[in-house]
Amino acid sequence: MTKRTLLAVAIGLAAVVWCGTIAMAFNAIRRFETTPGAAAKTNGVWPAASRVARTPGSWSLVMLVHPHCSCSRASVQELAAIVEAAPRHVQTNVLVYRPHDAKRGWEQTEVYHAATRLRGARVVIDTDGAEAAVFGGFTSGQTFLYDDEGRLRFSGGVTSLRGHAGLNGGRADVIRIAKQRDGKGTHPVFGCAISTTKETTR
Amino acid sequence: MNTTPEVAARATELREEQALLRYKKVDRMFAVLLGVQYVAGIAAALAVSPYAWAGKERVLHMHVWVAILGGAGITLLPVLLALFRPGTALTRHVIAASQMLSSALLIHLMGGRIETHFHVFGSLAFLAFYLDWRVILTATVVVASDHFARGILWPESVYGIANPEWWRFLEHAGWVVFEDIFLVWSCIFGQRELQAAATRQAEIEYLSEQEQLKSAALEMALAEMQETA
Repeated sequence: MTKRTLLAVAIGLAAVVWCGTIAMAFNAIRRFETTPGAAAKTNGVWPAASRVARTPGSWSLVMLVHPHCSCSRASVQELAAIVEAAPRHVQTNVLVYRPHDAKRGWEQTEVYHAATRLRGARVVIDTDGAEAAVFGGFTSGQTFLYDDEGRLRFSGGVTSLRGHAGLNGGRADVIRIAKQRDGKGTHPVFGCAISTTKETTR
Repeated sequence: MNTTPEVAARATELREEQALLRYKKVDRMFAVLLGVQYVAGIAAALAVSPYAWAGKERVLHMHVWVAILGGAGITLLPVLLALFRPGTALTRHVIAASQMLSSALLIHLMGGRIETHFHVFGSLAFLAFYLDWRVILTATVVVASDHFARGILWPESVYGIANPEWWRFLEHAGWVVFEDIFLVWSCIFGQRELQAAATRQAEIEYLSEQEQLKSAALEMALAEMQETA
């Protein structure tokens, strides 16, 4: 085999690898970004067992976040847009997951600090995801909107895809329901699992 | 000066030489750029989303694997072609397609940040260094196909809403076309300048050749006169 033929074969092989890898890489990205996390299981009302205080006469917005979940940056970014657009009668709560045996400051990430900067929001540390379990959420970015009587109005995510901020149906639904004080909505939630199966079943 | 067929042929030869030199140079530039982008993609994945979490357990994030393996896949062929087949049309078009695919990969790795989309516009401008408008066309077809396919398959990734108006695709593509118009024009203008420079060079060579012929004839005539005297 001449050097020229070898080179042609090498380039031909590289072309096959090129097309194959590109197709696989973009398909992997598509599957990853469009596959939602586990949807919440709720009974449609504010959980009585929750430690989070509900402000009387106010609507309540609750978001569960895993502080290390990179996708949740987008969720908190979207929550900021909701907080700015929603009426003042909505009280925002962000429940930040933290394992009981984690080092001090484990939860102090960019996501956590972004949550603390939200206007009027309460940031609550959720040890081992106990509160998330009470609310029935499994996925970071899971958002609940309850009306002033504690009825669930929205349950789902507020990003269009995994880790993608920007205009999306979830965000639009939450703002619309809060403004109109009427209607219901749901949207797929994209993010990391809030807690491990062991923690969830404990 | 009236261009003779010889001058025109020489001008074409010179233009092609100059164009080939330019193509090879830009191919090398892109080989380096694609390599740098590959490393930057891995760095971005490690910085933005190093791990996927489930409670306190973590695994390497899928983005890191995609940056390493997918990035290598995108980069391999154009770099090989730039090193072993520089200056060919195939190399230019593969580089153009790979550059736009690198943009798409970086956009995904950065979580679809709007700022990362500027990479598409920067890349188109870099591709114009070739002064070959067909390369701009290839790059545009790749980026438009990606946009169009995603708009059909999962519109929320492009437009943020599930049922966008049919013309939203045109609004996004319009900005690329807007840049393309100027880049294609600059490529055609650049090729004309190359042609003009090559023609000038060919004319100078022709005139210099004519002068040499004249002086050679003169010298011969003088020599003959000296012999007869």
